[in-house]
Amino acid sequence: MDLFGSFALLLAFICAIYAIAGGILAIRTRNPFLIKSARNAGIAVCALIFLAVASLVYLFLSDNFSIAYVVQHSSRLQPSFLKIAALWSGQEGSLLFWSLLLSIYVFSVLWSYRDKHPELMPYVGVILASVQLFFLILNNFIANPFKLIGTVGPGGVLSWITQPDGRGLTPLLQYPEMIIHPPMLYSGYTGFTIPFAFALAALIGRYPGEKWIHLTRRWTMIAWCFQSVGILLGAHWAYAVLGWGGYWSWDPVENASLMPWLTGTAFLHSVMMQEKRGMMKVWNVWLVFITFLLCIFGTFLTRSGVISSVHAFAQSDIGPWFVGFLIVILSVCTLAFLKNRDYLKSDNSLDSMISRESSFLFNNLILLVACVAVLSGTVFPVLSEWATGQKISVGAPFFNRINIPIGLMLLFLTGVGPLLAWRRTSADSLKRNFGMPMAGGLIAGAIAWPLGCKDLFSLACVILSVFVTLTIVLEFYRGAKVIRARAGGNLLSSAVQLTLRNTRRYGGYVVHFGIVLVFIGISGQAFNQDKQMEMSPGSSMQIGRYTLFCQLFENVPGPNYTSERVSIDVERDGKQVMMLYPEKRIYGDSDEAGTMVAISSTPREDLYVVYAGRSPQSDKPVIHAYLNPLVKWVWFGGVVVVLGTILALIPNRAAAIIMQAAKQPAPATAEQAIPAGVHYDGSD
Amino acid sequence: MFPVARAQQTDHAKKLGLKLMCMCGCGQVLVQCNHINCPSSAPMLKELDDRIARGEPDDLVVQDFIQEYGVAVLSSPPNKGFNRVAWIFPGFAFAAGLGIVLLVILHWRRRVPAAQQPVPNRKKTASPEMLARVRDQADRETEE
Repeated sequence: MDLFGSFALLLAFICAIYAIAGGILAIRTRNPFLIKSARNAGIAVCALIFLAVASLVYLFLSDNFSIAYVVQHSSRLQPSFLKIAALWSGQEGSLLFWSLLLSIYVFSVLWSYRDKHPELMPYVGVILASVQLFFLILNNFIANPFKLIGTVGPGGVLSWITQPDGRGLTPLLQYPEMIIHPPMLYSGYTGFTIPFAFALAALIGRYPGEKWIHLTRRWTMIAWCFQSVGILLGAHWAYAVLGWGGYWSWDPVENASLMPWLTGTAFLHSVMMQEKRGMMKVWNVWLVFITFLLCIFGTFLTRSGVISSVHAFAQSDIGPWFVGFLIVILSVCTLAFLKNRDYLKSDNSLDSMISRESSFLFNNLILLVACVAVLSGTVFPVLSEWATGQKISVGAPFFNRINIPIGLMLLFLTGVGPLLAWRRTSADSLKRNFGMPMAGGLIAGAIAWPLGCKDLFSLACVILSVFVTLTIVLEFYRGAKVIRARAGGNLLSSAVQLTLRNTRRYGGYVVHFGIVLVFIGISGQAFNQDKQMEMSPGSSMQIGRYTLFCQLFENVPGPNYTSERVSIDVERDGKQVMMLYPEKRIYGDSDEAGTMVAISSTPREDLYVVYAGRSPQSDKPVIHAYLNPLVKWVWFGGVVVVLGTILALIPNRAAAIIMQAAKQPAPATAEQAIPAGVHYDGSD
Repeated sequence: MFPVARAQQTDHAKKLGLKLMCMCGCGQVLVQCNHINCPSSAPMLKELDDRIARGEPDDLVVQDFIQEYGVAVLSSPPNKGFNRVAWIFPGFAFAAGLGIVLLVILHWRRRVPAAQQPVPNRKKTASPEMLARVRDQADRETEE
């Protein structure tokens, strides 16, 4: 099976070369046979990568310990689902997994547009195959997951050996979120390849109009959604497993995932300028290029060992390959831009400073500044060491100080942007749209201050959150009121109808509301409390309105670990509410330790209890308890963001009606085909 | 099996501990590092607690930590020399970005596209194609 996997990868590599060469020739000659042949080669690459991954999964499930990668990341005792998850737990496997996810996207694109856009698709195929080729070079020659374990015997003869068992998966990764988190994040990273390929293809091929934007909008949203889920799952994993009481520490690997998310968010907004007004064409193309470059740069940071991180893969010699790839991408993008920049001229001009257009410009500015701040903080230790010869650290306090004000400005624009009209916003409209939300926000601030919300940033966050929420509610209310006046029914059903008529717009509002919830959750950090003490059975600890009673301290055997566990009886306001069981585990396979945090979560606060170990003096268990307000709002906000994105991905009801009508026999007149008042937005 | 040497820290120690990094390479702020059997954080926290308990001034404590572990022990870059760039750069990026945005807006506002230039013959009526194009543009621009 290892030979099968290796062979499939090698064949995929050859097919990718053919897809590129054939594609370039097809573009030059316009030969339909070559175009089809190059596309089929691209599809074959995807199928072969799938076969290679299937064979590696089989090697894991069949405990084939002649393969070095299987030995390093699996063991006989490991449950089957963890054996599958081991596929992406190390450098070689995760790069192959990356290739697989990219293949799924590539296959979907090549297949769904196989008979469409003949001018554009050959370019897209070549660019996608080129990206695949880079990863196939890594899979085949630099980080091959099918390497056998060899030993040099007497006389210098190399022989292959099979280990009796493997080392097992790292304990930190044996957690549900960690199983789902990498596939989600990688789906985000790889997904941004599609808009990149279309943007570059449209630029090189001087494809007319905004069609590439329409074609890639959904792909970008899917990638963005995966990236958002991946980031949140990573944060939840850090919260539940690392045991330091928080979910975001501005670690370089976390930052690497945030940067393309920020530029991707900027693109999703500024793309509307190009769709509606034919403006910001240069900006949009570069935003897509930068987002893709940041995806590759983030992967480079995680895998090269340039910047130290607990999340990073081990140091390896893979870094120069990524640097080379980054240089190639940047050069190709720059050359394509310089050669074809006249193709990106704006169609329209700006009518007023106070307009939706300018709000998008400022929104993009803030998102880009946030990205620059994260990027500069992340790479600054390397720059500083290079410039001064002195090592420095850039930790969470620096990032918080820089990024909290930026985040608040962004939150403000989240409320302001959608209320401004395209082209020009009148003073009356400003008063009508902003008066009530602004007043609501200030009243909320006036209530929050005496209730103890004295931290400046948290107070600003409360005011802005209420402001943004009210702007969103008002938008739904006004639209629903119009529909109710026309069609009757109640306000709720009218709001549902309104949403279904323009899913993109109202889905976007739902996403904005999710972001507000996340901000509210983050603002709770200003009121975190924690307490640590030695606790023997019978002793108690008070934190906030909770009293923790230590009941039992015991050793508990597990399937592939042994643990030290503390049983804690929790009282809230004097009433017994639950038992919590924080523990630490030692995994038999690797002798590595892992923390199992006990969390009781409510919308108001999380009681987060960590068994920190035994006191060396008294041998008593040490319990570290945290009271973290509003954390649940972060996770709930994430769910709302995902739901809003899914909603925005659903075709408008009007568009669906037209598409359905188009499938039926042609009506006698155009009026019969399009119901009155229905407008097809033309997307996709 | 899992020895720890951290006692309950005072608020003062927690606040000062936020300015320092754990030096084991985990990249965590000192008071937040809790990874099992960490060789650095436990002794560093103990030293921090002891010195605060002795009433030593914060600056002196931080300076001694820098002497012992290097500048890397600070959780934020010191605001002097080349490291000042870390603090200035985001603000500079914002100011530069703002300048560019304002320039772009001014440029866009000065430019009068062909479609908006005065029509020389006002009596001339719009062609159906033009009307259709304008209607389509209005639809697109008012739809969202």
